[in-house]
Amino acid sequence: MQSQLDSALKEAADAAGQIRTRAELEALKARLVGPNGSLTLIMRGMATLSKEERPAAGKMVNATKAQLDEILATVSARVEQAELAALLGPTVDPSLASPDVAPGSLHPLTRTRERILATFRKLGFVIAEGPEVETEWHCFDALNTPADHPARDMQDTFYLPKSFRSIDALRKGDEDLLLRTHTSSVQVRTMLSRKPPLRIVAPGRCFRRDAVDATHSANFHQVEGLWVDRHVTLADLRGVLDFFVKETFGPEAETRLRPSFFPFTEPSFEMDIRSPNLGRLSDRWLEVLGCGLVDPKVLESCGLDATEWSGLAFGLGLERIAMLVHGIDDIRHFYANDLRFLRQFA
Amino acid sequence: MRVSFQSLERHVDLSGVTPTQVSELLPMLGLEVDSVTTFGLQPIEHLVVGEIRSFEKHPKADRLSVCQVDTGDGVLRQIVCGAKNFKANDRVPVALPGAILPGNFEIKSSKLRDVDSHGMLCSAAELGLPAGEDGLLILTARAPALGTPLHKLFPSPDVVLEVAVTANRGDCLGLRGVAREIAASLGRPLKPLEARAPSGTTDKPSSKDAFGFVKSTSKTCPYYTLRTLRDVKVGPSPDWMRRDLEAAGLRAVNNVVDITNWVMLQTGQPLHAFDAAKVKGGIEVRSARAGETLTLLDGRVLTLDANTCVIADEARPLVLAGVMGGVESGVATTTTDVILESAWFIPGEVRRIARQYTLATDSSQRFARDVDPAGVDLAARLAADLLIEHAGARVVGPAVVVGKAPRSDRTIKLPNGFVAAKLGTPAPEEHVSAVLRRIGFTVHATNTGLEVTVPSFRSDVDRPIDLVEEYIRIHGTAQVPVGRPLAPLPGEEESPAASFVHEVALRLAGAGFSECYHYSLCDAAEVTRVLDEKSSAQLALQNPLTADQTHLRASLIPGLARALQLNLSLHAEPRQLFEVGAVFRPMADGQVRECLSIGFVVLTEAPRRSWKTREPFDLFSAKRLLTGIATAAGIANTRLTWSDVPGGLWQEGHAATLADRGRAAEGACGLLDLRWTRTLDIRGSVIAGEILLPRATFTSARKSARFEAFSSFPPVTRDIALVVPTSTGAGDVAERLRQAAAKAVGKDIAVEAVTCFDVFSGEGLAPNTRSLAFEITLRHSTRTLTDTEVTAALEQVAAAAAKAGWTVRR
Repeated sequence: MQSQLDSALKEAADAAGQIRTRAELEALKARLVGPNGSLTLIMRGMATLSKEERPAAGKMVNATKAQLDEILATVSARVEQAELAALLGPTVDPSLASPDVAPGSLHPLTRTRERILATFRKLGFVIAEGPEVETEWHCFDALNTPADHPARDMQDTFYLPKSFRSIDALRKGDEDLLLRTHTSSVQVRTMLSRKPPLRIVAPGRCFRRDAVDATHSANFHQVEGLWVDRHVTLADLRGVLDFFVKETFGPEAETRLRPSFFPFTEPSFEMDIRSPNLGRLSDRWLEVLGCGLVDPKVLESCGLDATEWSGLAFGLGLERIAMLVHGIDDIRHFYANDLRFLRQFA
Repeated sequence: MRVSFQSLERHVDLSGVTPTQVSELLPMLGLEVDSVTTFGLQPIEHLVVGEIRSFEKHPKADRLSVCQVDTGDGVLRQIVCGAKNFKANDRVPVALPGAILPGNFEIKSSKLRDVDSHGMLCSAAELGLPAGEDGLLILTARAPALGTPLHKLFPSPDVVLEVAVTANRGDCLGLRGVAREIAASLGRPLKPLEARAPSGTTDKPSSKDAFGFVKSTSKTCPYYTLRTLRDVKVGPSPDWMRRDLEAAGLRAVNNVVDITNWVMLQTGQPLHAFDAAKVKGGIEVRSARAGETLTLLDGRVLTLDANTCVIADEARPLVLAGVMGGVESGVATTTTDVILESAWFIPGEVRRIARQYTLATDSSQRFARDVDPAGVDLAARLAADLLIEHAGARVVGPAVVVGKAPRSDRTIKLPNGFVAAKLGTPAPEEHVSAVLRRIGFTVHATNTGLEVTVPSFRSDVDRPIDLVEEYIRIHGTAQVPVGRPLAPLPGEEESPAASFVHEVALRLAGAGFSECYHYSLCDAAEVTRVLDEKSSAQLALQNPLTADQTHLRASLIPGLARALQLNLSLHAEPRQLFEVGAVFRPMADGQVRECLSIGFVVLTEAPRRSWKTREPFDLFSAKRLLTGIATAAGIANTRLTWSDVPGGLWQEGHAATLADRGRAAEGACGLLDLRWTRTLDIRGSVIAGEILLPRATFTSARKSARFEAFSSFPPVTRDIALVVPTSTGAGDVAERLRQAAAKAVGKDIAVEAVTCFDVFSGEGLAPNTRSLAFEITLRHSTRTLTDTEVTAALEQVAAAAAKAGWTVRR
């Protein structure tokens, strides 16, 4: 019997090296351990042995079977490897560049806007919005800018014809519609639609009838801020704006409030910053935003009692902030849509 | 306004204070300093007066002259010069070798085209003086001695600050106003400013006056005064006055005109001097009669209308009120008697008139900012004093006054604690009083607060809050403490559009799109590419500035297509671009809607070859992006209807429109019109997409999604193939099958999907038909479906299809 087992084992070992496919493997298995396989026949033959002979024969058979299994397992692993290799095809060169489209990018003004909004959200400001086509009343009258004020000069503002009717900016009377010159109009819309206390920031596009040059653009973007509550003070104004400046320009940035004039705030200030990290604009005072306490006339225009409520407001130019943060020297880059510019801020 | 340091010193003692300190001080008081320049001539060594004894053309250069110059030291120097404006024996500035001119430019002996040159003859600009005529600064008329150091011929050097005065501070358009601010900040007194000539007292001219009547019939002028000055000798004004005028950027004319200008510079009150001999009858301030003409001092001839206020005599208009005098009645060398006008005009009216005739003058600029009514009288008296002193004039009788000052000093009650409450830090009343007194306010303390009297020169201070500004301006904004921001207010709702805009931008950037920002204004041609002529006209501006920005944009796609064109030409390899922004669409009823638009464009062929080609982006890629964006905006896919495009921006038959009628959202996607994109030099095809979301889409905050339980039993799928007319949309067929299936199976069985998996036309099918194959997925909520019930349901679906006229393929 041992010789029979040895020959079965030898047959398996000889065949194993030749086997390339799963079918050949299955055929070998059938020859050895199939219903008529040589090992199967040997095992059947054990039934003819005496009781005394069986344990030794069983041991021999098991040992052989174990060896056979090992051979078959090795072959099976090799066949499986070959099958997978055929499935996978040639190996890849990971140093090749991806053929897919290049990564996209957010516009630097979008990034700047979101960064600024995130800063004010931390301080409990929520985002509000208003239309770009606005009524004269919301843009000027309600903001204490009467009809003969220089800011309402036709020279500086784009107006729409009398025939223009906007579903988003309904006239109060027969006033003109215009392209808003600042996002301060959203202050008015917010105070008219919500009850104080309120804290909002309003990002948006604004328009001025300016010739385009390195610092002027036919449209530009502002973020307006408004906080109306009981007892809002100049100290609160500094608190909010110092926080904004330090979040945007780093903790080394210093601020100062420089007295100025806006019809809708009293007192009014420009906030200047000075920072060591602004390239060639480092270490000098730079104007970054206008701010002040909301003029009582604005509160009254919006139906709020100015003896009960007080507020602070500020407006900053997105382009201005983005230019300072990124060292951009010409506002026209923002609207030129040259990908060599846009991809720098991806 | 140009503020000279030396002129300021006429009003406040600036000893120990440098011009630099003043230029740093003013901005913190609210007066921005735009520039700091020098005026006059700094002493420069080796820069002297010389005389050109003779000159001849340079042998090798047509434009150069070789001059022999005498600087008084006994030798003739040869100097080559490029100017043309001199003649022999002219005296000119000579920079000798060793002189260092402004800009650190050192003069050396040299050769110019082989000819020796030992110095330089100078122009005004080369010396840092206001540039006059082209060429050398000719000094002949002044007859200076040869060799005189040049700076001795010019005023001592001064520093001039260009100060930007905000709209509310008309008082600072006079040097005294600026000086008052500096004095207050430094804690120094203003020097006194007093006039000797008498104030006006009567409203009728006497027989001695040079005018027979004065009246104002115009609302533009509530306060008007005139004085007669006789025996005036017109001539040059004194050097100090000429210096002050030139430092302020004005030209000296004659003593009478210079005096009115000089007083204006000090006080901010514009004055006007008439030649009495040219005034017929008397003076009336009135509205112009339509069609009247007036020739101004600058030679312009205006045709006036009835909304214009003029100063006229009985025959004709003499002066455009508050703006500019006329040439006929002005002071000339022959003038002997002068009528001096000082008045107050309504600021807004002067601004309007100046704008109407596009004239911005020193006078209109000041009247438009509201001059001090109390200064009307003072300025005229100061001018009279100077005319007596420097023009030998004789005052006859008192001034004649019509109307009265529209504003005088006023008192504001400032409650105790008000300033502190606005500052957020203590502000003791005594301190507030002290600070306000420094800017010329009178303060009286009472038990309940301060009574603050504001002088008439401050038109902008009316209310307690205005006094807070004055206090902190003078006390210093550095004294405002940095407050601690409060905690957020709970429950405040944020604009859903804002977070949507950011989410969409991130989504598209993540999908390989680069964000663009285009101007909101475009030309008519660009709008008509999107809308019909009539709708396009509705988006026109009333007052465009440039021909390429006349309309509101109606779509983001034209801008994005141009960005592809631009970046292709730049070889910047554009592929996928997007933009988010407002666009404007006229509606059927004529109103215009402002929509938030999200648009994108994709160049289907990569500008650069690659080692591996990807499936190109197509209409259905665009459709998937748009439906994703719509979902993010809260518009479910099931609400969107898709149909063919009528053309316009899009290539017919290769693009689709979408609409959500309920929310009035609309959009389109697919291939851009090939003829158009070819005109943009884009060779391949462009797939684009745009969705327009009206403001109403975002009026309410989005609801949180509600969980719905789902079945734990397996689904069953069955296929059905139909032959349908080519004109019938696969989407419509699928919807019909879904409805039929839902009706067939009842409410316990969900029709989970009806998916088209094969589209075929051609061989074996009738013309204008195609075969569509669908997989229908059904699932029971509480048990496994049986084959019988599914088969029965599919029979009903097939019957419904047949009823619709479609052939079911078995």
